Formats: sequence, C-alpha cells, structure tokens
Amino acid sequence: MPVPNSLRCLVRPSTGLPVSIPRTAASLGVPSAGLLGTPLLAAASFSTTSSRSEGASGIAKNHHRGGKKTFTVKKKAFVLERGKSPLPGERKAYRKRIILSNDNALAVPWLTDLGPAELSNENNVARVMGIPEEVQDQLRASEAFKTTQCWRMFRKPAVLVRKETVDLTRRMDRAAQNNEMLRLVVTGDKVAGKSLMLLQAMTHAFLNDWVVIHIPEAQELTTACTEYAPIPNTDPLQYMQPVYALKLIQAIKKANEKVLSKTFTRNAHPHLPQNIPANTPLLTLANVAKESEAAWPVFQSLWAELTAQGVARPPILLSIDGLAHMMKISDYRTPAFDLIHSHDLALVRLFANAFGGGLKLPAGGAVIGATSRSNAPRCPSLELAVSRREVEQRIEASSKAAGSGSGAETTATATEEVPQRDPYFRGYDDRVEAVLRSVEVLRVGAIDKNEARAVMEYWAASGMFRSVVDTKTVTEKWTLGGNGVLGEMERASLLSMRM
Amino acid sequence: MPPRLNFWSACRALTTRTHTFAPRLLVRPATQTRGWADKATSGFPPSGSGAPPPLPPNDAGNQQPAFTSPENEEALTQLRMIEYGVTSLDPAVDGHKYGMPDRFIPPAKQVKKRYDSVVAQVTRLMMQDGKLAKAQRDMAMILNYLRTSPPPRLDPSRPLLPGSPPPNHLPLDPTLYLTLAIDSVAPLVRIRGYKGMAGGGRSFDVPMPLELRQRRRTAFKWILDVARKKQSRGSGRTMFPHRVAEEIVSVVEGRSSVWDKRLLAHKLGTANRANLIQAQRKKLI
Repeated sequence: MPVPNSLRCLVRPSTGLPVSIPRTAASLGVPSAGLLGTPLLAAASFSTTSSRSEGASGIAKNHHRGGKKTFTVKKKAFVLERGKSPLPGERKAYRKRIILSNDNALAVPWLTDLGPAELSNENNVARVMGIPEEVQDQLRASEAFKTTQCWRMFRKPAVLVRKETVDLTRRMDRAAQNNEMLRLVVTGDKVAGKSLMLLQAMTHAFLNDWVVIHIPEAQELTTACTEYAPIPNTDPLQYMQPVYALKLIQAIKKANEKVLSKTFTRNAHPHLPQNIPANTPLLTLANVAKESEAAWPVFQSLWAELTAQGVARPPILLSIDGLAHMMKISDYRTPAFDLIHSHDLALVRLFANAFGGGLKLPAGGAVIGATSRSNAPRCPSLELAVSRREVEQRIEASSKAAGSGSGAETTATATEEVPQRDPYFRGYDDRVEAVLRSVEVLRVGAIDKNEARAVMEYWAASGMFRSVVDTKTVTEKWTLGGNGVLGEMERASLLSMRM
Repeated sequence: MPPRLNFWSACRALTTRTHTFAPRLLVRPATQTRGWADKATSGFPPSGSGAPPPLPPNDAGNQQPAFTSPENEEALTQLRMIEYGVTSLDPAVDGHKYGMPDRFIPPAKQVKKRYDSVVAQVTRLMMQDGKLAKAQRDMAMILNYLRTSPPPRLDPSRPLLPGSPPPNHLPLDPTLYLTLAIDSVAPLVRIRGYKGMAGGGRSFDVPMPLELRQRRRTAFKWILDVARKKQSRGSGRTMFPHRVAEEIVSVVEGRSSVWDKRLLAHKLGTANRANLIQAQRKKLI
C-alpha cells in the first residue's frame, strides 16, 4: 500500500485536512486553504450541533473513501412454505360462517317443529322444539344465529321453550291484539340465553307473519365502521348510514318476503330511482334499493309505508342485540369534530324512539333489545334504568297482589327502594334515561331442573352427550353450570374435553 | 473374601463368660395386656416377683379369665376360631360400622384422572408456556371439530389399527377417533445412537422398542409439527385446534405426511436391527 494512503487511515475526519496531498506537493506550493490565510486545522472546529457539523461534513464527504467493504453473510429469513394464503375476506368468512346442521348427529325422533302458537303455549315449557325450515332461512337472513352458539352440533336447529319464552311471546301477542307497542329490554347474566330469547321472539314473529327488523349487533351502527352522512334539513342534525341501510333493507327483504309481497303501498313514491305507484307490493319497493346511494330514501319510504295508518299492516318486531352500544355516544364525528350521540344516527334514533314510546304502529308490535355481558361498553344509565325498572316492576306486581288479597308478601317488596342516581358520578346520560324510563324488563335467569333435563335429553338423543341422563347427571351438570345457567351447562357438558 | 483360617481366628471362636447372666425380663402374653378402650383398669395383671405368669384362659377351665366382658369374649372366641383354622371373621363386615370403602376409586371420580388417558396426555403435549387451561380448551375444540366433521374416507393402503370401528362410527366418539389416529401412526421403535461406538466416529444406531405412552407421544409430536406449519384458513383462536383436527382427519384418511415419518422410523429400525446383537455383546442394552 502506498504510504500516503496508509497515513490517511490515521487522520481523524473532523480536522478536514486534505491528507491526500502528499507532503512533497504541499511544500512545492500547491494552492491549499492554508495559503488563503486561514489556518488549516481551524477549518472545522469540533461541534455536535447539526448546523455546525453540516459544514464540517461537507469537507468530510470528500474524505470518504470507497473501498472494499467487509463481506458479511446475511442470514436468510426463515420462510415457512405454506402454500396459497386465503384471499382477502376469506378468513373472516370462515370465522363468521354459520353452520346449522351436523350430519353426524343423530336425528331426534320426538322432535317436533314449532307452530305459530307453540312458543306461547304453557304446556310446551321444558320442551325442546325444532325450528321449521323456512323460519331457519328467515332467521339466517336476518343474522339471528351467532357463531358462538352451538347450532353446528345438532342435526337441525332446535330451541328449548322456557318460562321466560312463554312470558315474552304472550306479551308480544297481547301487544299485537291491542295494537300496542311492547317495549322490552331482555337482560340477564352472561351466557344465560339473552340472544336466544331474542331469537325465539323473532321465531314467534316469523311464525305469526310479523315483519321483523333485526339489528344483529348494535355496535356495527355506532363504532364508526360504516359510512355515514348528514341528512339535510334535520334539526337537530341527524345522520344516515347508507351502506348499512342497504344491508338492512336486503335482510328485511329476504327475511320477510312472504309478508312484504302481501302488503301494498298506500302512497306513490316518485322520488325513488324507480317510480313506485300506489298499491304496489312493499317487496317491489324494497327491491328498488340496489345501491347504497338510494338506500336511505328507500328505507325511509319503506318505513313510512310499514307504519302508515289506516291500511292493513302486519305487526312489526324491531329487535336489536347489544343494547349498550346503542346507548352511548358513538364514535362518529360531526364536521366540527364533536362526537355524535348514538341517538342522532337516524337508524338508531328509530329504535330509541320506539323504546321511548314515541312510535305508534298501525297493527301494534314490539321493540325488544337484548343487553350483552361480553361485548358491551359500560353504560351506567342503562344499568341504572334496567335495575330501576326491575324494582318498579316488582313493586307493581306486589301492589297488584295486595289488591287481590295476599298481603303477607307485599310488605317484603314494598320496602324495596328504587335505585337512584349516584350524586357523585357524572357519567349518566339523560337521553338514555329518558328513552328507557318506561320500558319493561325481562330478566333471563337460570333454568330449573325440568328444563335442564329436557335439554340434556335432547343432547343425549342427538348423540352429543354420551352419558345416561338421570337425576344425578342432570343435577351434576346443573350445578356445574352455575345453578342452571344454560350456557355454562353447555360448556360443562358439550364443550368440555370430557365426553 | 473368606475369613482366613489360622490359629488366631480359631482362638477368637473360643469364648468364655466371665460374669453371670443378667435376669431376663418377664414377657407377658400380649393377649392379656390388650384391653378395650372403655375399660377403666390397667391391662397388666399384678405381677409378683418371680410369680409364674397366668395361663391363657382356654387351657385351664377352672381358672377365671383375667378380663371378662362380652366384647372381649367375642374377640377371644374369634381368635380361637382362627387358631382352629376357621375364619369366622369377615373383615368387610365385622368391625366396620359402614363397611370397607371401595378399594379402587373409579376414574370418573378422581380429579387428577377425570379425562381419558390419551386425551390427558395429548393435551399436555399441546400445552405451551404452562397454560394447561388453554390446551384443554383447544383439545375440546379439536374433539368438537372431529364430531362435526364428516366420516373419514379410509385409504386401504394406509391401514388403521386392526379391529377399528367403521368410519361412520368415529365422529360420534371423538375420543376414539383421536386415539385411533394417534395409535395408528405411532411408531414401534426408535433409533438410539451411541456416539462414536461404530468406529471411525460413526454413531452406532440401535433400534429400541417404545412403550405405549412413548409411542403416542412421538406420534402426536409429529402431528403437532405438521399442524404448526400448516396455513390456517380463517382467523381467531379456533385456528390452531382446527389445524390439529384437520391433521388428525388426514391421518385417518391416509393423506398425512406423518405416515411417511412412521415408515422412515420403521425402515431405519429394520436396517439397523443387526446392531441389536452387537449392542448386546457390547453390553449396551
């Protein structure tokens, strides 16, 4: 290696000394910075600030030498050969698919299908009954089945008729007879069967030719995962969700095809993309919504027709699961970047209005909301309203009982105090409390041993529960399942690795 | 080493006693000292110095027995009967107010053994980071997958264990399904390598038979290896158990690569079977 190059290795770059000039050349009078009057070594003083060192680096750049770089072996990243990965959306479809039958399961010979009056028949309590084929399709179209439920284990979907079921369906029937609106909140412990109670209500409605509008997850409306747009000329400003509205219309259309084709429009709807004259089936009206742009006006027209007074209309069931998501401030923003209250979203507002009692239906109907214990934001007003209504219902019942003569029990419940707001807590929502002030509350509790026996006999007859069903087994599973919490019993006997 | 025979050892054998014997302690019959718990007096008879011990009650008819109570009488009668060779005592009945407990607690009643043995073993093999509950939940999902999947179509070239039930019986008994899959691909031997024993630095491979649990462990490890490398079709927590279950189904249907591993293990075993004699000679086994 030539000497000057070797020397260059020893020089620090920050001095800016052009060392490539051999000493001999410098002494021969080659012009350099030193000759212009500035001392060479003061060309760049030591500095760590970027502005100063930038000038220094200009000199250091010249100093950079391109040479042989150290050869390093790069480790190859371990790539697992896994074949073709699923396309976008396939994974979710796989996760969310609903399987309603298991061909391995034995067909239960004594299983009978539900009829229009079966769910409100008291004699059917503690019996497992099958859901008819067409109702299955309707329920599937309105997304009433969930992936967390055990439908995929049995030959065909069947439900246990519980005391609460009969209670609920009777209230629905009464409301429809009196052309009233049943406003009800289904609540209960975790995996107690709240969503299934909703499903049974929907089944009853489908069997009795109601129109069912079901929102399977309220969170889809309020967690800002679907598009929204302000509705002009509304005060306070409301927002529509066109994409969700399209999906909802299609679900309504598919689930209620039979009823909608027999119901006819009262007014003409010329403003829609397709002109709808009066006396057209509502199914045709629903069919107009092909794209999300037209979805909201079509939904409005459909709703206006369904609630039109003075014409023959079917009763309507509005059902929503995951009520707490509907009773909070949504994740949507106004143009001023304020959060929008859920009740300002037009679809949610329709439900809130129904819960609050502001909706009059021509043939009566019901609005039923189920709370959730697993996926629910904390909603103090909802909790307070539900507990308050529960106590008020007990007091009413006891006062009724006192009126009929049995006075001994009344004193016990009359002393019960209606829960009040915590004065030191700010998180209450007045709008939510106003909406829920007068709803009925149905608590889905534990099943008793008769019901447990019925459902376990069904499991055993399907071949999914491989044990003798006697009093001992029933009591064992009933106890293991938190004294009759149906979902826990299912976990203990069907979803366990002991079989 | 035997003791050396010489003069001094012979002398050591000759012993002489330089002082008198110590007086022997009186040994009283144990039957007489035994008493019932509610008896007030002491069990030992009054012992005079040098007086002969009282005779047992059965050999002198004229003498009154030391302790008389109906229970004692009965006990003594039973002892006498045993002496005659008649076993009048039924231990399951006599002396127990509620009878004897069952000797073996059935498996369903034991907390530690409440699951099927294969299922329990395999669950622990699936466990990662000591999370047994998660492994158990995964196992429950595997079994549920098996019972909702259609009956397997068997491959005659990959025969399952002889005597296995027909394929349409399998989904309704998922534990059996799992056991059958594991036992069918379980290898019989493994290769034990003795390093450098074959000369020239080569290892000396000797086939070794595997115990039942070892066989199952090996087979399920193979299945897990394949399942861990598989691509999942969906997402979420059910994916891993589903992949394992798919692999179990493919084992039963004969599509799995685990069969090749088993074949390889057996080929190696047969190729090295001559080493068994060598290993015996070298006293390795």
